Amino acid sequence: MEAARAQNHQKRVAPEGQPPQQEKRAKKRKPWAPGLLLLTPILLFLFGFFVVPMLYILYLSFISTDSLSGEGASYSLSNYITLFTDSYYLNSLWITVKISLLSSLVALILGYPIALTMAKASAKMRALITLLIASPLLVSIVVRNFGWYLLLLPNGTVNTLLMDLGLISKPMNLLFSEVGVIIGLSNAYLPFMVLAIVTSLYNIDPSLEKASAILGASPLRNFLSITLPLSLPGIVSGCVLVFSLSMSAYVTPALMGGANVPVMPVVVYDQINNLLQWTFGSALSYVLLGTTLLSVFLFTRGFEKSKFKEVFR
Amino acid sequence: MNAIGKLRGALAVIGIIYILIPLIAVIPASFTKASYPSFPPEGFSFQWYTKILERPEFIDAFMNSLQFAVLAALFAVIFGTLGALAIAKYDIPGKSAITSFLTAPLSVPQLVLGIALLIYFTPLMLAGTSIGFLISHIIICIPYVIRLVLTGLSGFDYNLEKAGAILGANPWTVFWKITLPLIRPAIISGGLFAFLTSFDNVTVSLFMISPETRTLPIEIFSTMQDAYNPIVASVSSVVIFISVILIVILEKIHGVGKVFGGGHH
Repeated sequence: MEAARAQNHQKRVAPEGQPPQQEKRAKKRKPWAPGLLLLTPILLFLFGFFVVPMLYILYLSFISTDSLSGEGASYSLSNYITLFTDSYYLNSLWITVKISLLSSLVALILGYPIALTMAKASAKMRALITLLIASPLLVSIVVRNFGWYLLLLPNGTVNTLLMDLGLISKPMNLLFSEVGVIIGLSNAYLPFMVLAIVTSLYNIDPSLEKASAILGASPLRNFLSITLPLSLPGIVSGCVLVFSLSMSAYVTPALMGGANVPVMPVVVYDQINNLLQWTFGSALSYVLLGTTLLSVFLFTRGFEKSKFKEVFR
Repeated sequence: MNAIGKLRGALAVIGIIYILIPLIAVIPASFTKASYPSFPPEGFSFQWYTKILERPEFIDAFMNSLQFAVLAALFAVIFGTLGALAIAKYDIPGKSAITSFLTAPLSVPQLVLGIALLIYFTPLMLAGTSIGFLISHIIICIPYVIRLVLTGLSGFDYNLEKAGAILGANPWTVFWKITLPLIRPAIISGGLFAFLTSFDNVTVSLFMISPETRTLPIEIFSTMQDAYNPIVASVSSVVIFISVILIVILEKIHGVGKVFGGGHH
């Protein structure tokens, strides 16, 4: 059947002399074989050094072994079972989620006014603010963390300021605490929040606000009824971005929290680099990856299903 | 300007200060006279800069960082430019899927990527080697090059290539004389961005290091974990200085905000 059809096809194509239809089609569709050739190096590279390693540790995560040499290894779910029954790991997962949520919240509160100002500002001002907020992303995270270390010292600027304002009577332990980690993370990822929100603010039709102002709405009413709901997609994508980046951040929690704040990435790092528990560490990695993706999915979906559905297109 | 506008502006200034203040604090702190890190600094001296020269590990790490970043950027630009050209120019089936695949290393947490590569490289004898280190950095640089070059190609007029071909240029000449010069700004910004991505990286590098492959951010990271020392401030200031130079160039060519997806309207 198949062969016959192929033959039939060939016959129809084969006659020389009048192939105008066939040629026209060939001209319209550019040949893509050279394109595939250009793609080959990068595809092979990413397949060999990105896809295979990721699948390899997924495979390892289902192997349980008692010894480092890998003797007595067998397939099982025991790595995952340990993870979800041991209160130490569950607690670590909870701390990670909590810190990531709070970091997103801080970034949202501090980032929204910046985005709003950018949306109302002149093109020149916009470009300047974009440069100011995006540039720190190009400076190593260890440098930014060291800056916070200086500011959060017991006799540092932040404690001095809070004491001068009379908000606290003696220096707080900001370093090596959850507060320190939240400050570090929200600072590191705030630019992403601003850029996400500002993109949705740019898309708001300015005539909407004009119309509502003409109809007598106060600026506050204007903001609550038009700007805020229409910028929700940006708020959601900004929060999702900051949340997922915070969930998997290692350097900032390690430097700003240390052993006092055992978030998942710190626990995973310890299992792999210090305890050499590779199969268990692989399982932890995938749980971290899975939790991040799942929370992002639930968060986005929750918003889509809510009453703000109409603003998501 | 009304009261609400003023309030909005004031809150925005607070937010921008929050973003910039850790970097602002580091530079004055590097000129401290004291033997412990502090801000505001105590007194004024250059001692923590001259002390960098007495610590060969920082100099070596700096040279390593430079070499790895140049090589990683070079390879990422070659792979990435070829890939982006293929996607932009040819009607390859599954184009959008391929584009998402090429930028996928961005969506996998660097910690997980580092772990996967360490475990995978160990039996291959690549763990802790310069080659292994370089491969890991090329992977994290590729997505940015793809993004930037694809953006650069989005307004590309393929008629110019056709005109060249009609006038008798061979494909190689067309590429060198027409295509490359037109997308050069995108390639340069992709390369600079890849350089900074590699130069700044800590998380993936942590799984790839050996005594021979320690980079500057790794050296800062471990110094900070062992003992806080004002030398971190002076080394960090050097890093900020280098970053600022490259940021200025990037801003001139491409716009730093656009790299991260912030669209100017």
